[in-house]
Amino acid sequence: MALQPPSGLTELNPQQVAKNYRITKHLADVYRLWGYSEVSPPRVDRLDTLMAGGAIPSTDIIKLVSDDPIGLRPEMTASIARAACTRLSEIPRPLRLWASGTIFESRQAAEGGHLIEEKLVSGVELLGSKGITAELELLSMLFEALKTVKLNKYHKPRLLIGHTGLMDLLLSKVEPSIKDNVRKYLIEYDRLSIEDIDESDEIKAELIQVMECRGETSKVLNTLKSIYGDQEVIDDLMRLFTQMIPLARGQDIDLQLDPTFQPHFELYTGLVFQLVCRGAASPVVIARGGRYDNLVYKSGEKKDQAAGVGFSFSIDEIRELMSEELESEPVEDIYLIAYGKTSNLEKALDFQRKLHNEGKIALVELEECNTEDEARFRLKARRCNRLEWLK
Amino acid sequence: MITVAIAKGALLKDSVARFKAAGLDFSAVLDPDNRQLMIPSVCGRGRALLVRNADVPVYVTYGQAQLGVVGLDVLKEKQLPVAQLVDLGFGGCSMAVAVKEDSGYLRASDLPPHCRVASKFTHCARGFFDSIDLPVELVHLTGSVELGPITGIAEAIVDLVATGRTLRENGLVAIEEIFQSSARLIGHPLSLRLDRGELQSIVDLMRASEIDIAYPS
Repeated sequence: MALQPPSGLTELNPQQVAKNYRITKHLADVYRLWGYSEVSPPRVDRLDTLMAGGAIPSTDIIKLVSDDPIGLRPEMTASIARAACTRLSEIPRPLRLWASGTIFESRQAAEGGHLIEEKLVSGVELLGSKGITAELELLSMLFEALKTVKLNKYHKPRLLIGHTGLMDLLLSKVEPSIKDNVRKYLIEYDRLSIEDIDESDEIKAELIQVMECRGETSKVLNTLKSIYGDQEVIDDLMRLFTQMIPLARGQDIDLQLDPTFQPHFELYTGLVFQLVCRGAASPVVIARGGRYDNLVYKSGEKKDQAAGVGFSFSIDEIRELMSEELESEPVEDIYLIAYGKTSNLEKALDFQRKLHNEGKIALVELEECNTEDEARFRLKARRCNRLEWLK
Repeated sequence: MITVAIAKGALLKDSVARFKAAGLDFSAVLDPDNRQLMIPSVCGRGRALLVRNADVPVYVTYGQAQLGVVGLDVLKEKQLPVAQLVDLGFGGCSMAVAVKEDSGYLRASDLPPHCRVASKFTHCARGFFDSIDLPVELVHLTGSVELGPITGIAEAIVDLVATGRTLRENGLVAIEEIFQSSARLIGHPLSLRLDRGELQSIVDLMRASEIDIAYPS
């Protein structure tokens, strides 16, 4: 068998790389407009940083053989939070940063063994703001950035929102010894296991009611209020939704509050969300994020100043989802400079320099052509669309 | 369009009946002449994927099917992230440890450490023997597991037992039940979270039809 990349890793072709570049560039333009500065966290970092204070299990990190415990980053937030609390600690807060790059996911393959998946992400982090205003800025920017992705009605984008405080509220009535299991069942949407827990029928019915609660966000919040009474987390969410609903409606994004939704990594301590689109066969998560104050605290920030929110877009998912739309984007002119017997390579290189100075993409056909028709014939093979024939 | 994964074989007839009770009629799959693997429902709201037992949770995990019906034995063996929604009650059987009748073993813990155990369900078997702290060597077989103790390839087997007839006819006896299995309605967690009531109404109707069967009026 020919040499192949490791299981799970994909080698992108030039068209895919070009699409990735276009998507990340458009997103970066939005981040810059909002005053965010680019940082470049290392792909390889220390395990104690990558594990985000215990939020990310060691089994989810691909370790490298080294004298130091180091591995490939499974996400970028932990490294950015560390940088914000050390090298960038003197910069006044709120600190607005963005980064794009690859992350490495490790998962069990169906036939046994491990799969390594390398994924391109692009996202922002807003550090040092504890209030709900940070979430408002973050989600507003998420919606603005989403405009550059050019989703349409077919994709039915929906922002699934949860809150770790809501999950704590749900578990507040549950016997402490079984809380971890119940939390796991709620996250896995495992109704049968909830029915089996050693709790009163009333508590089980409440948990199932909340797990299956859907519809308008105000309806979900009212259901929660009727069960758990006045709670700060419910009031905060009401305020957030009051601001977000008109913004989301303007872009045909559905907001859905889901009290039992929690992401895979236990990085977050507050609002959590993911943006899901309708894919060709199944739902596709194109962005995720949330608040991670505890992570910032564990990275060395003082307790009263430890605050951070962020999101990241999954570029590969967006590229596959929007493949057709990206194909139809206007392509730039690419010139092929060809020459015949009466000209030569030196003249072709001179002409190429002239076009480059005008900002045009131009490449030289290194083989001499016998006729202009022959040069025209080579246009397609060289993936060019304009011919400059030097007589 | 709602896509459901249903397993060929023993669970098929009951699965079709329960989906029919919930408004999705896939009776066409029961036609002996049917060779189609993707069948639309009579109402046109859904379609069924006719797949092998062990593939049901795979289609649901990847979200290609939003719902599926499969035995608990398969779910415990495959360990995939699917939501268990309703115990449908049919397809009852138990996962058990069985040995030759004349072996003298009365419980699984009587088996000698590091003995060989044959099974199609090696994940379930490993979990069980770990739970009783008995180290065993598992031999993976894909069928006719009862031959294990007869041929001597293994001291014991872990397999599904429905009536016990196959065990008896091959001179084997079940000595310990690991768990009771029955058919489960499973779902794709993210699709359930995004659901606006369409999937939930099917789940509710399938649960209600279970009660109807248990307490007929």
